[in-house]
Amino acid sequence: MRGSAAEQLAQAGLIAFTAGFFVFLMAPILIVVLVSFSSLGYIAFPIPSYTLKWFRRVWEYAPFLNGLWVSIKLAVSSTVLAAMLGVPAALALGRARSGWANVLATFLLAPLSMPMIVLGFALLFYLSALGFGLSFTALLIAHTVIGIPYLLRTVIGVYRSLPPDFEEAAAILGAGRWRTMLYVTLPLIRPGVFAGGLFAFLVSFDNLPISYFFGTPSTSTLPVVMLSYIQDQFDPSIAAVSTVQMLLALVVLLVVDRIYGLRQLGAPS
Amino acid sequence: MTPPQGNAERVERHLPPAHDAQSAKAISSRPGLGVRHSVGIPTLWVAPAALFLIGFFLLPLIQNGVRSFFPHGIDGGFDLANYAKLFTDPYYLGVLGQTLLLSLMVAAISAVIGYPIAWFMVRQAGRWQSLVIFMLIAPLLTSIIMRTFGWRVLLARFGIVNIVLHSIGLVTSPIDFLRWPGVAVTALIHVLVPFMVLAIAASLQSIDRRLEESARLLGAGPLATFIRITLPLTLDGVATGFILVFMLANGSFVTLLLLGGGWQTLPLLIFQQFSVTQDFSFASAMSMVLLIAAAACMFVQLRLIRRQGVRAT
Repeated sequence: MRGSAAEQLAQAGLIAFTAGFFVFLMAPILIVVLVSFSSLGYIAFPIPSYTLKWFRRVWEYAPFLNGLWVSIKLAVSSTVLAAMLGVPAALALGRARSGWANVLATFLLAPLSMPMIVLGFALLFYLSALGFGLSFTALLIAHTVIGIPYLLRTVIGVYRSLPPDFEEAAAILGAGRWRTMLYVTLPLIRPGVFAGGLFAFLVSFDNLPISYFFGTPSTSTLPVVMLSYIQDQFDPSIAAVSTVQMLLALVVLLVVDRIYGLRQLGAPS
Repeated sequence: MTPPQGNAERVERHLPPAHDAQSAKAISSRPGLGVRHSVGIPTLWVAPAALFLIGFFLLPLIQNGVRSFFPHGIDGGFDLANYAKLFTDPYYLGVLGQTLLLSLMVAAISAVIGYPIAWFMVRQAGRWQSLVIFMLIAPLLTSIIMRTFGWRVLLARFGIVNIVLHSIGLVTSPIDFLRWPGVAVTALIHVLVPFMVLAIAASLQSIDRRLEESARLLGAGPLATFIRITLPLTLDGVATGFILVFMLANGSFVTLLLLGGGWQTLPLLIFQQFSVTQDFSFASAMSMVLLIAAAACMFVQLRLIRRQGVRAT
């Protein structure tokens, strides 16, 4: 009954469908990596030979490099700021059960659900009225707003799954609130902080709909520079810069994985 | 269904402090029961984040809402003209309709594609499961521009797809895919389908396999078991994924900007009002419509999550 012909057929069909799905998922990404090594000055196939010249062009084209630098600075600083605000909030809300704590948690997570373009548009006018205008500070504020929910969500998740025993034991053994926090709670929630920080970093690094509104030559992030480049030109240097960006994201992921195994978090959440 | 709470609390108060992690966890994870805090985190710690988001998230959106009601500047007086235009002008009604249609299509197709993938991931992948999860999440590491650029490369007039179609003799002259509205739908599905798969996989993982086994033992075939047992039990997961994808598609902007294919949606229109027409008050009104749609999705999502939470305990 278990291995009937129909069931085997269904299983084979499912495997084929899954394989096709992953080809669909990977194709547009792999093709860009391939094109970034093309020796042609335009995009065409088959690619006659491979070269690194587009990576050199990215290196020599000042807007890309400036944008990359702005993006890295912004992603790191907004993630740190979001952690400084989000982690204490997560600890305060993690075990609270009252109705208002629920409302507050919902509010703090709300930026996740708001269309980014709406947020960017609204923040541009608001921050200009406050005098921040088109500055790195304005970008930092905007990216921190979208970073907080990621940290909050993962830290709350991890903190809730921890039994309070460890902290209680520390308190019983005479540790004060700060010592307990520093030596017990923070090490225990570290996976949540790393995972949330990773998400916040990646989301900031790739953000376009918010950063777009704050773009000036000195505050344009890499995605903003890429967008304006892609609208004028269609050459492999955009593929090269995409590949560099992907590699950077991959490096961040691997570093976080090294410091704290991501596998332990369980991927589907 | 819900235990009498007063009773449960009384029981807990009489219990000696739990010494093993398991029972402490069991108690603290039950909703409605007070947790004994010997090292309570001060509630005030939530204040910096809350103030930050009130200042830089709530207030900007409120200011945006106010601006939408003053089409002639703040001295020009309160006026609903923007909303009247948005909801009566056939062009703008069409934009609203297209935004809705696009998001519904993307969410529905993602659900149909995502379900078998989630099934494979949870039930069949076995030791390949972590590879499947990795391949599902890996695209999220790449920039959205890279992915839309990839589609443009694949589907260009002299791109791979046209070359393949030509070489197997299906077409004689290259097809201009990039003018097709289906390309934007495909690209959005490509970006959003991993969220759907993860949502469905989570609910598939949580169902009690014994229910399916019982159905099989009682004589139901595999298909009947799936339709009458498995699918109904995972509908909440499908709904969660559907709303998430719908919400993200509603606000999507970059993909449509670069692969439009003729779609006119609210985010694109907001962008145009901002950068070309410069009618900021009208753009604010359109933002408010998107915002309210997002808030409605969030509300439904919360209801679903709460329902799943109840079922899980």
